[in-house]
Amino acid sequence: MTVSHSIELPSSYDLSTLPDADVATLAKEGREAAFRELVHRYERPVFSLIFRMVRDRETAEDLAQDTFVRVLNHIDRYRPEFKFSSWLFKIANNLTIDHLRKRQLDTISIEGSPHAQTTAEAEATSVDVRSHDESPLEEIESRELGTAIERAIAQLRPEYRSCILLRHVEGRSYEEIAATLDLPLGTVKTYIHRARHELREALSHLRT
Amino acid sequence: MDRHLLPEEIDQLLDGDVGFGTAPLKMHVRACATCRAELDEARALVRQLEHLPHFVPSTVFADRVLSQVQVFVPWHVAALDTVRGWMPRTRTARAFAWTGVGSAAVVLTIVSLFLLTRLDAVIFSIDLAVGRVRAAVGSGLADVVAAFFGNAAVHAFRTSGAIGVWVALTLLLLFAAVTARAMRAVVAGPRRR
Repeated sequence: MTVSHSIELPSSYDLSTLPDADVATLAKEGREAAFRELVHRYERPVFSLIFRMVRDRETAEDLAQDTFVRVLNHIDRYRPEFKFSSWLFKIANNLTIDHLRKRQLDTISIEGSPHAQTTAEAEATSVDVRSHDESPLEEIESRELGTAIERAIAQLRPEYRSCILLRHVEGRSYEEIAATLDLPLGTVKTYIHRARHELREALSHLRT
Repeated sequence: MDRHLLPEEIDQLLDGDVGFGTAPLKMHVRACATCRAELDEARALVRQLEHLPHFVPSTVFADRVLSQVQVFVPWHVAALDTVRGWMPRTRTARAFAWTGVGSAAVVLTIVSLFLLTRLDAVIFSIDLAVGRVRAAVGSGLADVVAAFFGNAAVHAFRTSGAIGVWVALTLLLLFAAVTARAMRAVVAGPRRR
């Protein structure tokens, strides 16, 4: 393991003042406080991105957890010349897209079995998507996710969704998004343009 | 410009692009109510997106993550952190600590210089002390060996001299190395899952 430069620790151990690259270098040196600081810094953005992609708290937590565990267990592979957050979002996005693809394969109709002959049979094989044991926090989140804009984001293609969330919720530049999602810059611009257009269309009823 | 703005041109203005190309677009927007309305609408959407809140994971999220992360702290980092942990937090306390350490260093330097002027006496004292320590350690080791392996082992050690000591030390080091390797394998086990 090679460390490019040594980081001077703040006297009060306050890592929050250090840039990501320095905290990551300290994590490479095996400082647990640096690992905790990286999780603290990015748990909300990463969780929010995944939550808005999968729309399920438990799955989002699992995927966010997997993201951090992968990144932090391979922190020795991090190169300080790249943005730590781009690397983190890249892993988060890849895991989420993989999950969504897998889920698409596993999806069954909530309307009931396509082979059902009668209404009763269809009802018996249908899936009840209402949650009966939502905690107050989950209820609030459900309501938040139920706002028009969140619903409109949820209707976007996953690729558009990642791009628009990274651009406008996380405030990333087009170049960073291209690097994060491994897409050509032109494709990122097109996706964001289309996502904005689709969102405006989806929200047009609110303006009338 | 005798036409309305294209969607890409609206995007350019939305992203705050600067340059010669955007000047005529801005001029057109000032003059055209339709394009101005469209740009305002797009800006409102971006504002809404930018104000979307971050969601908060559960309070145990960080602990759950860190319980699965293999943190290997090198000994020199751990030692440095321990020393840093002893450092007083406040400026005044640090000043007192440095004054204390500085005074101790000065006293030690004076004592060392004094001893250097009496080198013969110092060497004699060290020889005496080393001899006594060696005798005490030898006697203690003999007692331990006798307790575990009997008086015959003590006799074998004494007759084998330095070679016996080296063989025992090599065996001890080998045993320590194998134990350390085994412990490292046990610790690294969860990471290879």
